[in-house]
Amino acid sequence: MGLIEAIKKYNLTNPISNVENSDAFTYFLNNGIPTNKNEEWKYTSLKQLVSNDFSVEAEGEEISQEELDKSTLKTENQIIFLNGEMVQKPEIDGVSITSYTDKNPSFEDAFTALNAAYAKNGYRIHVEKNVHLNDSIEVIFLSKNTTNNFIQYRNRIDLNENSSIKIIEHFKCLDKNLCFTNSLTNINLEKSSNIEFNKLQNHNDFQIVVDNTIINQDEKSYSTINTLLLGGKFTRNNLSFYQNGEYCESNMNGVVILNNNEFGDNHTYVDHKKANCESNELYKGIYLNKSKGVFNGKIMVRPDAQKINAFQANNNLLLSENSSINSKPQLEIYADDVKCSHGCTIGQLDDDALFYMRTRGINKDDAKTILTFAFASEAIEKLTIAELADITKKEMEKKLNLSLN
Amino acid sequence: MREELSEDELLEKVTTSEYKYGFTTDIESDKIQKGLNEDTVRLISSKKNEPEWMLEYRLKAFDIWKEMDEPNWANINYPKPNYQDIIYYSAPKQKKKLNSLDDLDPELKKTFDKLGISLNEQKRLSGVAMDIVIDSVSVATSFKDKLAELGIIFCPISDAIKEHPELVKKYLGTVVPTRDNFFSALNSAVFSDGSFCYIPKGVKCPMELSTYFRINEAGTGQFERTLLIADEDSYVSYLEGCTAPQRDENQLHAAVVELVALDNAEIKYSTVQNWYPGDENGVGGVFNFVTKRGVCHKNSKISWTQVETGSAVTWKYPSCILKGDNSIGEFFSVAITNNLQQADTGTKMVHLGKNSKSTIIAKGICAGKSNGSYRGLVQIAKGAKNSRNFSQCDSLLMGDKCGSHTFPYIEVKNSSSQVEHEATTSKIGEDQIFYCNQRGIGTEEAIALIVNGYCKDVLNQLPMEFAVEAQKLLEISLEGSVG
Repeated sequence: MGLIEAIKKYNLTNPISNVENSDAFTYFLNNGIPTNKNEEWKYTSLKQLVSNDFSVEAEGEEISQEELDKSTLKTENQIIFLNGEMVQKPEIDGVSITSYTDKNPSFEDAFTALNAAYAKNGYRIHVEKNVHLNDSIEVIFLSKNTTNNFIQYRNRIDLNENSSIKIIEHFKCLDKNLCFTNSLTNINLEKSSNIEFNKLQNHNDFQIVVDNTIINQDEKSYSTINTLLLGGKFTRNNLSFYQNGEYCESNMNGVVILNNNEFGDNHTYVDHKKANCESNELYKGIYLNKSKGVFNGKIMVRPDAQKINAFQANNNLLLSENSSINSKPQLEIYADDVKCSHGCTIGQLDDDALFYMRTRGINKDDAKTILTFAFASEAIEKLTIAELADITKKEMEKKLNLSLN
Repeated sequence: MREELSEDELLEKVTTSEYKYGFTTDIESDKIQKGLNEDTVRLISSKKNEPEWMLEYRLKAFDIWKEMDEPNWANINYPKPNYQDIIYYSAPKQKKKLNSLDDLDPELKKTFDKLGISLNEQKRLSGVAMDIVIDSVSVATSFKDKLAELGIIFCPISDAIKEHPELVKKYLGTVVPTRDNFFSALNSAVFSDGSFCYIPKGVKCPMELSTYFRINEAGTGQFERTLLIADEDSYVSYLEGCTAPQRDENQLHAAVVELVALDNAEIKYSTVQNWYPGDENGVGGVFNFVTKRGVCHKNSKISWTQVETGSAVTWKYPSCILKGDNSIGEFFSVAITNNLQQADTGTKMVHLGKNSKSTIIAKGICAGKSNGSYRGLVQIAKGAKNSRNFSQCDSLLMGDKCGSHTFPYIEVKNSSSQVEHEATTSKIGEDQIFYCNQRGIGTEEAIALIVNGYCKDVLNQLPMEFAVEAQKLLEISLEGSVG
């Protein structure tokens, strides 16, 4: 039973009672899983994946303490979800953390609609005015199933005026069955607040992730989203920033390293609605073996949103004959006094640089590794949490060694 | 001193001129009824005394077109033309076949003079061979005999269909198949004339070949077809210019241009597109839906240069299929939109051969309430090893009511190729203008200066005569856009 049938069957046993959710579900049924005909999914096909047998929100298996310890980053403040249930949350002054159900869910495409209709698990973090949190909060979603499972989360983060927070979020599936996660996070930033949100995506070969992160920014707020896409069968990240006030800043850093048959797709959208704002985007992609990547960055500058600075760069290394990348950096600009630019490169390691290293006695594979690290370091250096930088580097090293040897 | 004078003249022109090609010519013309059906296609074919195979080609295209939908993916808004309300064939009446240009209808001659193309003068001075297409048919071709000595065929495509059917049959529709898109199918069914050019093996064409297109009759659409074949080791530079009268209605122009560069050949194709853009309220103007594509065989090169200043709506993507190893594709474009003009233009570079190279330089200038988009595709196939692409698309915004957009698609399927793409959007800096003012250069002139500098990369690619015209056009198009 493919995913769509599984969802329809789930609908029979779990009928929707309120109007908002059922509208969303109708929207999903009418539109279905997006195909390549949809411009936003032109290079990304889910067709084969969703034809697998799936159960929806299946009952999970027992997860041992040992398995849990192995999966987390051992930080101070942990929010832990086991098979969809929040089992642990930290107590922090000025920060309220609760499990979350969206009473009035909005949606804009098939996946967000499905999420709006049925997501019942998730967290809500609310940071009060003038609260600055130095330690990061780690959120881990752990699940273990004996069948292919489809699971959804819907989260919300609110930062009141002049507050700041750092978050690390990751999804882990433990058994060797397909695990399809459809997650959505709404982030609302009030005046002068600051968030750093890290997506650690060191997924395994059974994980399929569609993630939507929507950031609404008030004036003078500051947001940084770091995406570390280090593995996974299929990953699609939709990252949208809406700058609703003046003097906002939005930053995006991405490191993508994929191997074998992994597939990664990063869609970003920055909507500059008000004047005097800034956005910076840097995505570095490294593709090994038969891995495939997609990048789509869109910058919109609305009429009268003057004095905008928007920069976007997407650099890709294709290190194998069979890897491929489709990149589409877009600008849509309706104001004249702006500075917007995008740059995109696709290429390989410089032969001259490799040769230089070899003349100094560094063997070919090491030279390649060194240069690849140098290529990615620009984005890795922007990570403020040392542990995440370490994980990224280790994962890179592991993948490079595997593919070079 | 002299320099300054000419600059004053230029300014004079800038401040007084609107669309100077907006006149109509009273030439008796032979039109067919409005509307499009199988009989229209048959009628056009019979008017042109075409052989049976051509009629079949047209009818097949018409069948395909009937099943197609008008595309709406481009970033443009316009009222869809009513395809039954267009005259598909209109020709200036000619009593007999002309032998020399002196036999030309005096009214027609006057038109040429107004357009600034005095045929005789061109003949003597600039050495440009020219084919002129008014409404639907080619009316004059100069230098035909001189070119024939070298074996170069340069004639209206309707003549080529009769006189060189083997060449037309072999290449027509191979680069832009009928099925390619809605407008190419329409064109294949109803095209009335256009230019045909064949450069034989090893010949370097000694002069620039040129076609001048003009829509004259009201209510007509212009559908011309250009086929240019450069045989092995040959070279040709080709120019294309277009104008139309000022009318309140939207006229349709749906052309197809096919270029074939065989091994080691080089084609340079330059366009200055100046169709009537409509007035400042967006009334009238030409809808310009053009499919231009070239195929490059081994070691060959195709270079597209375009200056787009006219048309109410432009939908145009001159492309290169880099089929052969070591082939080169180039695209240089300046697209200017003012008032309510809309342009969605760019290129496709499809790399299939090894070591193929492509360069894209697209400069957009938007003023008034216009919208300009760059839409491009760089596709590197798996077998196109060691391919190289460089793209640069810049936009200059003048005024806060206009919009500028970029939609580049980049698809790379091997690891030995390199692709670079960069785009910027900005406006003319106040400090730049201040610097010029400081040195006694007025604001208007300063802007002309800066815009010219901005477009230089592209204008430098144009042949001399065109570069001068293009430079003037730039200034005229942007007249009054700076407050």
